Amino acid sequence: MNKRKVTLAAAAAGVITGATGLSLLAMPAGAGQPPSLPDVSAETLVEQVLTSKPSAFGGTVEVDNKLGLPSIAEIPQLADGKHSARIWTDGNGKLRLALPNGQSEQTIVDDGTTTWSWNSADNEVTKSEHKADEPKPDTGKAETMDPATAAKQVVGLTKEFSDISVDGTARVANRAAYELVLTPKASEKTLIREVRIAVDSELKMPLRVAVLTNGTSEPVGLVGFSEINVGPQDSKLFEFTPPANAKVTTPEAKEEKGRDRMPEMGIEQALQGKDPQIFGTGWDTVVGARIPAEAMTQVPAEAQGMVDRFTKKVSGAWGSGKIFNTKVATVLIADDGRVVAGAVPEQVLFDTIGQVK
Amino acid sequence: MITRQFGSEVRWMLRRPRTLIGLFGLILVPIIISFGIWTAGDDGGGGPGLAAIIEGNGMVVPIFTLFLSLNLLLPLVASIWAADGLAGEAQHGTLRGLLVAPVSRVRLLFVKLFGLTAMSLLAVTLMAVVGIIAGTAFLGSDGMATLSGTTLSTGEGLLRIGLFILLVTFQMVSIGAVALAVSSATEHPLVVQAATMVTIIVFQVLGQFSSLDWLHPFLITTGFPGLIDVMRDPIPLGQIGDSTLLAGCYLLIGTGLAAIRLVTKDS
Repeated sequence: MNKRKVTLAAAAAGVITGATGLSLLAMPAGAGQPPSLPDVSAETLVEQVLTSKPSAFGGTVEVDNKLGLPSIAEIPQLADGKHSARIWTDGNGKLRLALPNGQSEQTIVDDGTTTWSWNSADNEVTKSEHKADEPKPDTGKAETMDPATAAKQVVGLTKEFSDISVDGTARVANRAAYELVLTPKASEKTLIREVRIAVDSELKMPLRVAVLTNGTSEPVGLVGFSEINVGPQDSKLFEFTPPANAKVTTPEAKEEKGRDRMPEMGIEQALQGKDPQIFGTGWDTVVGARIPAEAMTQVPAEAQGMVDRFTKKVSGAWGSGKIFNTKVATVLIADDGRVVAGAVPEQVLFDTIGQVK
Repeated sequence: MITRQFGSEVRWMLRRPRTLIGLFGLILVPIIISFGIWTAGDDGGGGPGLAAIIEGNGMVVPIFTLFLSLNLLLPLVASIWAADGLAGEAQHGTLRGLLVAPVSRVRLLFVKLFGLTAMSLLAVTLMAVVGIIAGTAFLGSDGMATLSGTTLSTGEGLLRIGLFILLVTFQMVSIGAVALAVSSATEHPLVVQAATMVTIIVFQVLGQFSSLDWLHPFLITTGFPGLIDVMRDPIPLGQIGDSTLLAGCYLLIGTGLAAIRLVTKDS
């Protein structure tokens, strides 16, 4: 009889443990107690961030995106929601990036001389060798996924136009960090309220970037490490051999094939083109360009439909066109091909577009 | 003593014709998949997940097969074994004999759970082995290409398959343990199978609604897709660990409820 009670109690304990385990698993991991660190002045911290040497590390980056961007099939990581990526770097320009996309995966490996881009969904490798006259390899996409590099650029570009302060400490990916806050000065006409950057207390490397806009308490964009191990990484990670059955192409060939599929390339190329026109400085910088008339008419009908779906028609003294709003940026495309974009309210764009040549 | 009971339980399960027919049906799955992809040829490429890289990559077939089967086929098989274990014996009147025998009822439950585990491992391993053979025969193989674009040596590939066998078996046993709890409460084996399958299907449907995302971490089926991480290189352990812990919670709950029911059951 007594033994039966013991058995029952043990079985009940098992059930309760299982149920508790389920609820523990369902709970988001707590942020933990903020660590106590010696005080540091904002100026010193910014200086240290900008001069910190890139170190070798491997880690997992979580992106929480509430920017309100439309989902584009080519870059699913931009769509709203949570995404994760794994990144390894040796600190000397070699890089491996793994972007899971559902059950598929994109892998980008930069071994110092060649950038390999693998997409498991098409079983295809794009190989682009770095050209000698182009010392800086095109790793634009990789850099935006790496919070450390991205944050460093943000700090460098905006420090003159911001009030900078250190607002306590935080624990990010199990490392102690200072919270560096960049608030645009009152004279800046921008959508962004503040950018919070968690800076590793030891390496002075940014671990997390949160962007907050006017009128929201939750960050609209959050990029940060959820896991990081600093130190030399396995050198095999920075090598890539295409799988035996994969197609290997070059970016030129791929562009040729995909040109009519990617209408947004036109706008993107125009904005990043040879001579984009820059208006203003700091947070309310506006980038302007003019899309050649022939490119405007070349846009296929279905792409036009997509553009129409995400934009609204506007007109004013400057002319008429379409405006595309997200929480952190606004893009204005005039019907005559002028394009302006910036992290600013639409009124700033209306005022600026007249200056586009 | 208990090892002898374990042995006789497995022998008893293996002697049933429906077990053998079931196992035979399971090993047809990788053969049909390999054959299908082989006949589809080059135009069969593309698609999400593993389907895109399976062409000419025979070592992926066992993982692809198990990953697909985990959604419906393997839970069904686990529920059949769990149903036979207690409800089936109750229906035949043989459970009564086992309950009055001078053997602890908890031990009886562990014997049933062991039988379920051994048979699940056997079924999953059989599918994987046949998958390796059929995949290599139909699609050829030169190491194992992963979702990350790296190519593993055959040895490393076999290790990945071994790891996947263990992970899938654990998921299957956890589902079976919950089915055993149902099995201990009824005399009708069909009730057990129906309850298990309905639960798995309903869980998968609930998993499709993003408005119910607060519920998703509780559903065992939420853990299934994450197991594909075995095919990434290097393996990210986060999702695999979460899926296994989730299944472990179900195993504890199922075993505990079955034990409570068996101990309080009138013989």
